[in-house]
Amino acid sequence: MQQVFKLPDCIKKDAKFTFCPGCDHGVALRLLGDAIDECGVREDTIAALCVGCSVFLYDFYDIDCLECPHGRATAEATGIKRARPDKFVFTYQGDGDFAAIGFAESIYTATRGEKVTSICINNTTYGMTGGQMGPTTLLGQVTTTTPFGRSAELNGYPMKIAEHIALCDGTAFSARVSLDSVANIIKAKQAIKKACEVQIKGLGFGFVEILSSCPTNWKMTPQEAHRHIREKMIPVFPLGVFKDVTKG
Amino acid sequence: MAKTLISGNKAIAQAAFDAGCDCYFSYPITPQTAIGEYLSEIMPKANRGYVCAESEIASINMVIGAASTGEKAMTSSSSCAISLMQEGLSYAVGDQLPLVLISVMRAGPGLGYIYPSQCDYDQAVTGGGNGDYRIPVLAPSTVQECVDLTHRAFYLSQKYRNPVIVLSDGLLGQMMEPAEFVKYPYPEIDTSKWALTGAKGRAPRKIRSLEINEEKHNQNLQHIFDKYAQMEREEVLFEEHNVEDAEVLLVAFGTMGRNIKAAMNLARQKGLKVGTFRPITLFPFPNKRLSEIADKTKKIIVAEMNMGQMIKDVKVAVNGKADVVHIGRPAGAWLDETEILEAVEKELGGKYAASI
Amino acid sequence: MEQSIIIAGFGGQGVLSAGIILANAFMLNDKHVTWYPCYGAEMRGGAVNCEIVVSDVEVTSIHKKENDILIALNDLSFEKFLPRLKKGGTVIANSSLIEEKKPRTDINYIFAKISDTARDIGNIKAANMAALGILSTICGFAKISSIKEAVSNVLPEKIKELNYNVLEAGTKLANE
Repeated sequence: MQQVFKLPDCIKKDAKFTFCPGCDHGVALRLLGDAIDECGVREDTIAALCVGCSVFLYDFYDIDCLECPHGRATAEATGIKRARPDKFVFTYQGDGDFAAIGFAESIYTATRGEKVTSICINNTTYGMTGGQMGPTTLLGQVTTTTPFGRSAELNGYPMKIAEHIALCDGTAFSARVSLDSVANIIKAKQAIKKACEVQIKGLGFGFVEILSSCPTNWKMTPQEAHRHIREKMIPVFPLGVFKDVTKG
Repeated sequence: MAKTLISGNKAIAQAAFDAGCDCYFSYPITPQTAIGEYLSEIMPKANRGYVCAESEIASINMVIGAASTGEKAMTSSSSCAISLMQEGLSYAVGDQLPLVLISVMRAGPGLGYIYPSQCDYDQAVTGGGNGDYRIPVLAPSTVQECVDLTHRAFYLSQKYRNPVIVLSDGLLGQMMEPAEFVKYPYPEIDTSKWALTGAKGRAPRKIRSLEINEEKHNQNLQHIFDKYAQMEREEVLFEEHNVEDAEVLLVAFGTMGRNIKAAMNLARQKGLKVGTFRPITLFPFPNKRLSEIADKTKKIIVAEMNMGQMIKDVKVAVNGKADVVHIGRPAGAWLDETEILEAVEKELGGKYAASI
Repeated sequence: MEQSIIIAGFGGQGVLSAGIILANAFMLNDKHVTWYPCYGAEMRGGAVNCEIVVSDVEVTSIHKKENDILIALNDLSFEKFLPRLKKGGTVIANSSLIEEKKPRTDINYIFAKISDTARDIGNIKAANMAALGILSTICGFAKISSIKEAVSNVLPEKIKELNYNVLEAGTKLANE
């Protein structure tokens, strides 16, 4: 009989995700786990974790993990990589962790061209604390701290993370992908693997921003949430590869 | 072994290198920048980690990352920038990670200035991070001690899996003295039982302070405090002179520990019975010895280049058995031996008036 | 026996390096010594001084209210530090840049054309060596042979010769 589904070795066999129903974190972790497995580096991997919905990543992944203060994962990843250049090092962060409180660390990690990989989940809100405005919250989006919708005048504009990271000379790969459809999930997998490979090849910083649903805080069904990504998020956050040093 | 004329800052940098520091990350701030400048040359040459970080927030977190792999890691900074590191220090304690922080005090609050000062005793000893925690603090008073205590800091941090602070100041950092760089007897500590090295042939490891199980969380914190109790039993260091017959005991830490000796020498020439006591470990504080001395010596003067910080620990140590007064200045011209002698004479009142 | 020496001038006159050479010389004589610098935010041209304490026993306080010897390389430092000299102390003043006046009567004055001497020999930047040459004639701790050895340890090869020459010339300036 043909095997059509297999958990990545990275993911613990008894792992129970603590994410809300319909949340895309589980898909993103699955894709990253597959990429690490395929690169053959699981046993040489050290992860620097974030504070946010994925704070319990060490309960899902069968790898060595370091808890980090909110926003500082890329600094920790820098320290790990400088101490152990032979290890595969990644961070898995939310948009608030990576691009608000931790943006200085993130952009400098890219600028230095640290040989690490960062995955940033963009769901346009602070999920764990219950849906406040974050750096990527869309204009007009209602959150618990923008009850009348995000206003450019009051709150400024959503941040284009992958484009910023692509501008850094030390970045080897920067892309934005989405998990709203099977086709996009396949592209997401390719981008994540590429972001891992550029680290392994020593080319520089590998980065993927993943547009991801948060049905709970968006107050939508999972289907509505994916439609929301397609109709409202992608027009603001265009998908694509913004930098890839492996392609001339 | 030949002596080298070297500044306190550079002595610390060389000692850290000799102690096997594998990674150093920092951001420039006067008066400690020479540490980073020195290491920026020798660390890359030795294939060790060096990053001039974008901030002190980043540098302390890079150190945490490197420490999590079991390697020896260090950062250095000053006053207002060490304020930025308090979160990282709290995490390092919670994560039980060994790291060394060199704190070279300038004068605060705020940006303050680079005058020598001892205004960050409280910042180092009681800390500014969240949670119930302590950090061992070693306070050198000479350039040679900068070397000795930097070696010791790496050893203690690994032995206890806790950050350790070496508390220097702008005067000690910039002054030069002859110092010897020798081998130290500290054993290498095995970090292989906990370090993150990749889950090859073993169960994965997680280093974290987060614990949602209340009972387990309490146990973790109790374990940290058991380590502090062990430090109080095994790691207390101090220097004392002429305490046996002292009617007045001068207490100071760091560079002020030199000036109280100068004042004691002047006082003894005048026939005044003065002794000195210099805590070298500010945590664990030498409570027991100070308490013993206070059984006989009833007047204690704490001399600090601040407005009264270590005096609180001295008072706790003597627990009312002696009068404890403070002489200090927030910053600027160092309290010299004549000013300290004046304080001694004031404490002794009219008793020695004839000889003064 | 303990002596404290202040060397002061403006940035670029070799104030700090003269102090480091002197401190090295004391160390080579197995003395206890401390060297402490003080300078402004300017990298060049600002006021700069350093204080050296040398002793047969451990140096306790590094920074003295009163000093035994002052080497003043410019007029500003002459005015600023003269009040800090002990009674009976000595000032070595660079009369190339300092007017020969004696505002205190309780100290000794050595006025010498320190900058001119260095310039005439080859480079005005070596003025600090002329000052150390003079110092070696009045400070028992500062043996000329140890200062030479310290110069050899501290300075780069290509400027050693010039510095030796200015140092030698300095030892004769004191007697003029």
